[in-house]
Amino acid sequence: MFVWIEGTPIAQWVSLSLYAYPFLLSVHIVGLAVVVGIFMMRDLRLIGCFKSLDPVAFLSLGRLAWTGFFFNAVSGLMLFTSQALTFAENTAFLIKIAFIVAGMALAGVIHARLRVSLLVGSADISRSTRTVALCSLLTWTGAIIAGRLVAYIV
Amino acid sequence: MLESIVSFVDGSALNQWIVAAWWIWPVFEILHFFGLSLLFGGLLVIDLRLAGHFRRLDPGATHTLIPVVLAGFTINLITGILFFYGDPVTYASNAMFQIKMVLIAFAGLNALVYYWLLHPLVHNWTTSSEAPLAAKVVAYISLTLWTAVMLCGRLIPYIGEYLGTGN
Repeated sequence: MFVWIEGTPIAQWVSLSLYAYPFLLSVHIVGLAVVVGIFMMRDLRLIGCFKSLDPVAFLSLGRLAWTGFFFNAVSGLMLFTSQALTFAENTAFLIKIAFIVAGMALAGVIHARLRVSLLVGSADISRSTRTVALCSLLTWTGAIIAGRLVAYIV
Repeated sequence: MLESIVSFVDGSALNQWIVAAWWIWPVFEILHFFGLSLLFGGLLVIDLRLAGHFRRLDPGATHTLIPVVLAGFTINLITGILFFYGDPVTYASNAMFQIKMVLIAFAGLNALVYYWLLHPLVHNWTTSSEAPLAAKVVAYISLTLWTAVMLCGRLIPYIGEYLGTGN
């Protein structure tokens, strides 16, 4: 299947064009900063930093993060197609994807809880929400570490 | 000026240490990416509120994120200097690197303009009041400059005479 992916017109464009790879990497770095940046601020807030900041505001900021995630999913998929076989066998890449899936799942949990506190009008952050936020923070840190190591580990 | 810095750095003990230690690059790149997430993430909240979005947030409260932004900047300043120490000749001659440094200087100036002219007024704003035009301009300039800084940094291995190993 990965051989087939590498043969598709998109994969051919990404690997052969002089501009495609650097362009997609550029999109990917800005998307990373938006997604990981916003989620890290949200998680830091939930584990007890910047107490004067309204945590529920991270619901609307979360929509910006989802937009960033969309751009990174598209640019990431396109980057993947050019060397599908190599990436699919790269341990760091597989760990990175696992971290991203976990991070987005945890974001779903956190945002659902923020929506509840918006409805209830409560500003209290439960112990379990703090734990989930800490896991999310570690997950995105792990995604950055694994993502960077993709270039170094075969 | 750049030439004298390069001749000072090139061949120094720190330069030789970084060149010899293979693990330095991936470890410092990870820290550099972590730092940019803190820097840009914090600025997104501060600047977008400054520009009038996310009115739920108290403008003054967003400023509690400034230490995080400064921490991210410090991490990236240190790791950035060490990258430069590791390969001074190629960095100094790279156009994207040079533009990136100029953009960071402009972003710093923009932050000073904000700090001197607008920051003293921020506590007068309420969550409902419209942001002043000057605040919006400063906020969008800040986000635009830092986005451009990231783009230039990412393109260093691809554009502008970089001779090192790109990835």
